[in-house]
Amino acid sequence: MKRLVLAMLCLAAAIGQEAKKPAPAPAADPETQEVLRRINGLSPYEVPDLKLRTEQNYAHTSTDVEPFGAVKPYKEHFLVQMEYTGPGRAVPEPVGLKSVRIGFIGPIESTVSIATGGKSHEEVLGKMMLKGAQLAVEQANAKGGYLKGRIPFEMAVANDNGLWGSTGNEVVKMAYENPVWAILGTIDSANSHIAIRVALKAEVVMINTGDTDPTFIETNIPWVARNIGDDRQQGYLLVDYMIRKMGYKRIGIIRASNRYGRFGVREIKDSSRRLGHPVAIEMAYKVGGDDFSLQLDRIQEMNVDAIVHWGDARESALILNQMRARGMKQPYFCSDRSVSPEFVQAAGANAEGVICGYPWDPDRKDPKLDEFRRAFKARFQEEPETYASHAYDGMNMLIWAIQQGGLNRAKIRDLIATRAKPWPGVTGAIPLSAVMDDAGEVFLARFGQGRWKYESRETLQIPRGFVPVRDRTSRGLETASR
Amino acid sequence: MKYLLAAALLATCAASAQPAGSGSKLPFVYTKWKQFTTENGLPNDHIFAVKSDGPRIWLGTENGLAMIDKASGKVKSWTEKDGLPWRVVTGIDVDKKTGDVWLALFGGGLARFSGGRFEHWHQMNSGLVNDVAYGVAVENDNVWVATTAGASRYNTVSREWSVFTEKNAPMEEIWNYGVNYRDGKVHLAVWGSGVLEYDVATNRWKDYLDPDGEMEIDLYRDDGIVHVITTQANYIDKVLWVSTYFGVCRYDGRNWRAFYNKDSGNPSDFNNNLRARSGNEAWFATDKGLGAIMDVATNTWVTYTRDPKSKTGKAVVTRDKTVLETVEMGLNLTHNYILAVDVEDNDIFIATSKGLAWGVGEGYYGGLRERPRALASNGRASK
Repeated sequence: MKRLVLAMLCLAAAIGQEAKKPAPAPAADPETQEVLRRINGLSPYEVPDLKLRTEQNYAHTSTDVEPFGAVKPYKEHFLVQMEYTGPGRAVPEPVGLKSVRIGFIGPIESTVSIATGGKSHEEVLGKMMLKGAQLAVEQANAKGGYLKGRIPFEMAVANDNGLWGSTGNEVVKMAYENPVWAILGTIDSANSHIAIRVALKAEVVMINTGDTDPTFIETNIPWVARNIGDDRQQGYLLVDYMIRKMGYKRIGIIRASNRYGRFGVREIKDSSRRLGHPVAIEMAYKVGGDDFSLQLDRIQEMNVDAIVHWGDARESALILNQMRARGMKQPYFCSDRSVSPEFVQAAGANAEGVICGYPWDPDRKDPKLDEFRRAFKARFQEEPETYASHAYDGMNMLIWAIQQGGLNRAKIRDLIATRAKPWPGVTGAIPLSAVMDDAGEVFLARFGQGRWKYESRETLQIPRGFVPVRDRTSRGLETASR
Repeated sequence: MKYLLAAALLATCAASAQPAGSGSKLPFVYTKWKQFTTENGLPNDHIFAVKSDGPRIWLGTENGLAMIDKASGKVKSWTEKDGLPWRVVTGIDVDKKTGDVWLALFGGGLARFSGGRFEHWHQMNSGLVNDVAYGVAVENDNVWVATTAGASRYNTVSREWSVFTEKNAPMEEIWNYGVNYRDGKVHLAVWGSGVLEYDVATNRWKDYLDPDGEMEIDLYRDDGIVHVITTQANYIDKVLWVSTYFGVCRYDGRNWRAFYNKDSGNPSDFNNNLRARSGNEAWFATDKGLGAIMDVATNTWVTYTRDPKSKTGKAVVTRDKTVLETVEMGLNLTHNYILAVDVEDNDIFIATSKGLAWGVGEGYYGGLRERPRALASNGRASK
């Protein structure tokens, strides 16, 4: 029913504009024109000669935090972009469609989730993600919808926050039962991994706007992109701040006992160890609990300099309050999920000085961002946050690719994969890496005087290690120790 | 200095041994091919699964099940209109004892095709753990299903279901991709969890993980499986073959050996599937053609590709990265994007994203030999 209502809303927005003459298809820049020249008119057996992204360093990793830095690895992955070599580009564009369906999958309904640690808890994020995507679709429809066919875009919405595997069923439906041209989603990384396995087999491009699990993109799938800075980047920045700038030597971790917590802190743990300051203690807690005394007892015993929390805003505030109540005065660092009104309200005065990794800079002066905020507030009577903003960007990326590439899943993929310039998003410039991950800058959010302030590595003068310009297998080992 | 001398001596020995040993011998090359597409009656060209079953070839496509009669070449197919429970068939295995054909349905669960009718098991009517099934394997009276949320085992006699997930098996992740049974062992290729081996006699699990534990590198070539994101595992002659999206590897119970595009004839590191013929020969379904390692000791491969602009193909014989021979031929593969492979007797069956290619193995031999004349007359060999 919810899906029907949403579809009708999107269609209604389009019908309202029906009388208007559609705008011409957006002009393609020279690079896009060249991609189109190469991917159009191919037989099913031909593979276009597309310029594959090639990088010399994976994920801006400095030599001193590279895994097994003293050894030259036999093979380094993720430096050359994956190709799609199948016959999909030769599939003709269908005629007679009434709408251009784009899939949305995210946690929007409360349910039981084994994947996320028991009771589902990500609906608040998923609903904002849905609103951001919805606004992008409505705006595109207001401008004439799919311009080549003069038909509206329609979102096919599915909930993913079920038992393990339900996401797979939903994506199968989107691929085969009621086909979509591309998919946006999701947040929980267990569900994201399941979804992209289906997307790979079914050959439909999937853009992720809310899952910050580093391993999501490390799967070598040519059908997957992500437009949000991941926990690897946030982790690197937090470690550089804590260890290189502030000189903390003993870091304690408390995290959710789920995939988000487990993989979120991985780069913090690894990088700290590689910098000579292994994490003193790591404690996991069950999502949904209220009492963290067991974990905090252990952490307190370890006499740590700083504490990192990776989990949701609710638990983050509870842990912080319980820490301060027992006299633990260590600086408190968190993942981006704590940057929320829920955290600030629950933490109260304890929120002062809390620092979180953050995938973008909402304080940025950008007319696009201002206009997006105005439109979002007008449409939904609330401020957009990070999940809404990234979903808005992600849906606009898909709509752009569909407008340029036409109704062909492989070409839509190609447009996303080969985009030469960073996507000018409301969340900032989004350059995609060789693995089609957001390679843009991440930030630190610091709470003070009643608001979050977003600061870059540059403004905070956070040092970083040497980032080499040669890949590990072809450079000398001497750079590893620089 | 002592080590340097020893190394130089070894290198000299190796170099001089090469021509006298395998240097002049070459592997068998398939030059006789048949092709099947929708023009021959297949319900769909996108073939996820292929299973050769004596006089028949079963095909699982994106829109239906098909069966090719090998003798006549006639195609019979079943879609949802004919009772197939779900259109997308991603895995097939045949129970040699009963003749039943078991189907993994991509989003539809599990089906048995027996006596001309389909039986259907799914999440809501059985112990199947998830409907997104990637592979199926018959093990004695049991049928194993690799699903996106764990593995399920169905006992066809007792009708009892067992479910294997992270709760009762060493699955770091539960995203099962491939399943195979042979010689008392079930092997699961699990996306993010490497390969799991289930010993049927002891009911014990053993896991094979990437020893370096890192996603972005393979630290040492021969230290274990090349990556935890695995796509298939085959066990034969007490040798385990593994395919991944990052390369392939082989384990003989004592030593691992990895093969990458940069050091072997495999045309790509992106391997959708594999089928091993022996401990010495395995076929890899890649996104850039068909790779076959024909002799492990010498790292000798044959790579098959079709020309994208003409109805011709070629086979390239390599040793390490040295091209030994290129055999031009008529059309071989129906497409270079390959999804699955099967091998039976002397023949090979290649499921691609644009039809099926059947390599007829007249005169097939395993390993390396002096090249028989018959082969040269079928294809045009050139150095």
